[in-house]
Amino acid sequence: MDIFTISLWGIAGLVFLASLLKDSKKTFDSMKIARGMMKGMIGEIIAILFLIGLILTFIPPETIKELLGKSDMLLATIAAALAGSVTLIPAFVAFPLVGSFVNAGASIVPAVAFLTTLTMVGIVTFPLEKQEFGIKFALVRNLSSFVFAVIIAVLMGVAL
Amino acid sequence: MKLTGMIRRNKLLAFVIGTYAFLFMAMPDKASSSVRNSMYYIIEMIEIMPVIFVLTAIIETWVPKEVIMKGFGEKAGVKGVFFSFLLGSFSAGPIYAAFPISKMLLKKGASISNVVIILSAWAVIKVPMLANESKFLGIEFMGTRWVLTVISIIAMSMVVAMIVKKKDIPFDEVLKAEKIAGVEVNQEYCIGCGFCASLMPDEFEMDGGKAHWVESSLDTGKLVEYEPVMEKCPAQAIKFV
Repeated sequence: MDIFTISLWGIAGLVFLASLLKDSKKTFDSMKIARGMMKGMIGEIIAILFLIGLILTFIPPETIKELLGKSDMLLATIAAALAGSVTLIPAFVAFPLVGSFVNAGASIVPAVAFLTTLTMVGIVTFPLEKQEFGIKFALVRNLSSFVFAVIIAVLMGVAL
Repeated sequence: MKLTGMIRRNKLLAFVIGTYAFLFMAMPDKASSSVRNSMYYIIEMIEIMPVIFVLTAIIETWVPKEVIMKGFGEKAGVKGVFFSFLLGSFSAGPIYAAFPISKMLLKKGASISNVVIILSAWAVIKVPMLANESKFLGIEFMGTRWVLTVISIIAMSMVVAMIVKKKDIPFDEVLKAEKIAGVEVNQEYCIGCGFCASLMPDEFEMDGGKAHWVESSLDTGKLVEYEPVMEKCPAQAIKFV
């Protein structure tokens, strides 16, 4: 375990202890909620982690580097942003997936575009959003999120 | 029957298991190298998951969302922007879990721009997720993305508020107590955490990974007892109908 993870464990352990001391019932109630949410995601988490292995075995790093690292950056970024818009996986499992692509040589620009649209733009949840907030709100919010996701990605490429 | 239901709920997992089963028979060397390639990410995930679990639970317990929610309104100004970021960043669940809460705040007078901030912050800048992002992509990556995202969200909230006005948003009226005919768990919002069923085991049951209201338990004298469950539901999926 690296120092970063160890310090996170330390922080989490301390706040957990403090929370238990302050109100153990409330703490356990919330842990029930958190456990329920984890249980809902665990299938996808396991699936994505093993999918990473398949991707790394069958798609050689040179191909990833070529497609997402060297070729037409704008095209790759917009394709990644589109992929993020239609996918509905928890951000939680997206980080190891995207991390594996970056480690294999993908540029961070499409990676960031994918991560941002994955969570902010929702084609699958669009009907729900339309129902609650009306078509105009849903349309404008999703479209501007898409545009800003690409802007964030390009700026990330410049900054890092 | 139960098996097909499980497969339908976990399509991706079923696909991955199927692929591995095929590989272990057809190309065992490829299969074992896939497992080896996954191992690093599995270990990293096991290391970080308890931390994220604990942080999510602690934030759920101690961040006073009621206090934050009082800080909204058309004239809330900078304070409203700040509170919107707080609410979004300290909440758990996917973006659609924020829809019912944001709708309720809109009804209570929150501005369109603040609701855009809540929804976007809810989607991208969650505190436990930042820990996960640093773990797999580095602190520098996470920090830069965080700063750029916060700036973008503010710009976006202005753009949306300029184009969309309150009259464009559909509102349904509040139900009077005598008109309440039952309780409904919105199946699309329910995240299946089982909290309602554990608090009110006679009134709610879990089936197929979602909560359902037990119709026979309706007692109009006891409607108040639903309020804590409705408030506590992390997806705000429980409503009177």
